[in-house]
Amino acid sequence: MISLLRAEFLKLRSTRTSLGLGIAVLLVSVVPTVLLVAFLPTRMLNGGELAAGATLVTYIVLVFGILGMTNEYRHGTITYTYLATPRRARVMIVKLVVYGAGGALAMLAALLAAQLVGVIGLPARGVSYQMPDGGALADYARQIGVAGLVTCFGVALGAFLRAQVVTVAGTLIWALLVEPLIVAFKPGVGTWLPFNVFGQVTASTIMSDAGGVGTQNGLARPEAFLVSVVYIAVVSVAAVVVSMSRDVT
Amino acid sequence: MAVIEAEHLSKRFGRKVLAVDDVTFAIRAGAVTGFLGPNGAGKTTTLRMILDLVKPTAGSVRILGARYRHLARPATRVGALLDASGFHPGRTGRNALRVVAAGAGLPYARVEDALAMVELEGAAGRAVKGYSSGMKQRLALACALLGDPEVLLLDEPANGLDPEGIRWLRTFLRARAAEGRTILVSSHVLAEVEQTVDDVLIISKGRLLAQGPIGELARTAQPVVRARSPQAEKLEALLAARGAAVNRLDTALAIRGPASAEVGEVAHANGVVLHELFTEVPSLEDLFLEIAGTRREL
Repeated sequence: MISLLRAEFLKLRSTRTSLGLGIAVLLVSVVPTVLLVAFLPTRMLNGGELAAGATLVTYIVLVFGILGMTNEYRHGTITYTYLATPRRARVMIVKLVVYGAGGALAMLAALLAAQLVGVIGLPARGVSYQMPDGGALADYARQIGVAGLVTCFGVALGAFLRAQVVTVAGTLIWALLVEPLIVAFKPGVGTWLPFNVFGQVTASTIMSDAGGVGTQNGLARPEAFLVSVVYIAVVSVAAVVVSMSRDVT
Repeated sequence: MAVIEAEHLSKRFGRKVLAVDDVTFAIRAGAVTGFLGPNGAGKTTTLRMILDLVKPTAGSVRILGARYRHLARPATRVGALLDASGFHPGRTGRNALRVVAAGAGLPYARVEDALAMVELEGAAGRAVKGYSSGMKQRLALACALLGDPEVLLLDEPANGLDPEGIRWLRTFLRARAAEGRTILVSSHVLAEVEQTVDDVLIISKGRLLAQGPIGELARTAQPVVRARSPQAEKLEALLAARGAAVNRLDTALAIRGPASAEVGEVAHANGVVLHELFTEVPSLEDLFLEIAGTRREL
């Protein structure tokens, strides 16, 4: 397992995909936060609640997870991966762990970058920066956890479908178009759909308390978290089972 | 002792494609075995079944007494060159090997050894996308050698190599064979492996047509007597009357059946002038064509 972890981390470090991910994450985290800090009326600026790009980061790590798996098939490296480690279940499990951790770290980096913008930018607007309180920290922790889970979801989808363009495009269309439509027109069904469930876990405590986005779609946060874990587990197990029996031609 | 044993191995893709059809063979230890057949014969599918990358529809295959996936540290026992394009184009050659070495639990020092063996140290820091097809082939070969394995499975290793590269590969394979390694090398260009192999497996349309030491198979092939004569038409008729199979092109004859001595005696007895008379030793290619054309299976 240790050698497999070493191999997966080296895969991450030795191509530009991770660098691209890092840049994208920082961009979608820093740019909206800078705009908020620069242009939002000072009375609306909350000194510790700065996570404007977190939702976008979630989609980036989803794509990161999909690429992590589909690149193996696209470039044919899966052949050498399985020759080095023919026990395929181990390969899949390690990939899920490494990418899950990578996705969570990306979200952590995004949130820290947003805080940094606050530390630098808020005093310039005459607003004092405040360390995030317990509620905000809990929100951030949930966002980090869900980012890890969503990245695993991407890896599992990639293992299941293999075709890179189809998987990335199909997943994003589903998440950004199909699911919101179902949620809008069939909320009873939409409540249980994966990306809506992930969103219910990460919905801001502050916004929920204020009657904004959050748990109004039906599931309490613990339920939403449980359903998210079930989604990830089912898709991951399916991906492992399919990978074990699939021909690598 | 057999290093690789396949028994009634078959693979069907979908309903229509029977890639490998009831193949049984054994590869002996320490030999270089040529796995020969035209493109689409089932060579790659068979190699991938040996390596547990493709699941057989029927039959079984063992390598070093077990399924590949059940070998302890398989990369140190078996090295495989399957797909020279199977590297991430953005990764350097060195990192491409390091990824495999790490996955196989091998130290990075082995990467440098393998790069040196295939003479690719100078380009190891460059991204694979900048490699020529010959360099990618060498990189894939280095990948097969990472674990210093006792068995090498090489699928079309000469693909993409220029004549100098093919000569290098031949020398390389001979050197590895001299170390006592078992090598199974597939090729559709028979001349490439003719000077290297001890044994051959001949496969066509998924069926195994022949297997055994190349010398024994060559002995079973019918030699061709070649003659050149200004009276070729007369000689053709004389030999045909004696039951020989004769093909004539202008003054040249290709004769199957009688030995060259008999052809010479017939010519002498009938006053036929001969400008040339010799027995052609069948090449591996001749052997393959004869077996593929006449035998249905072993």
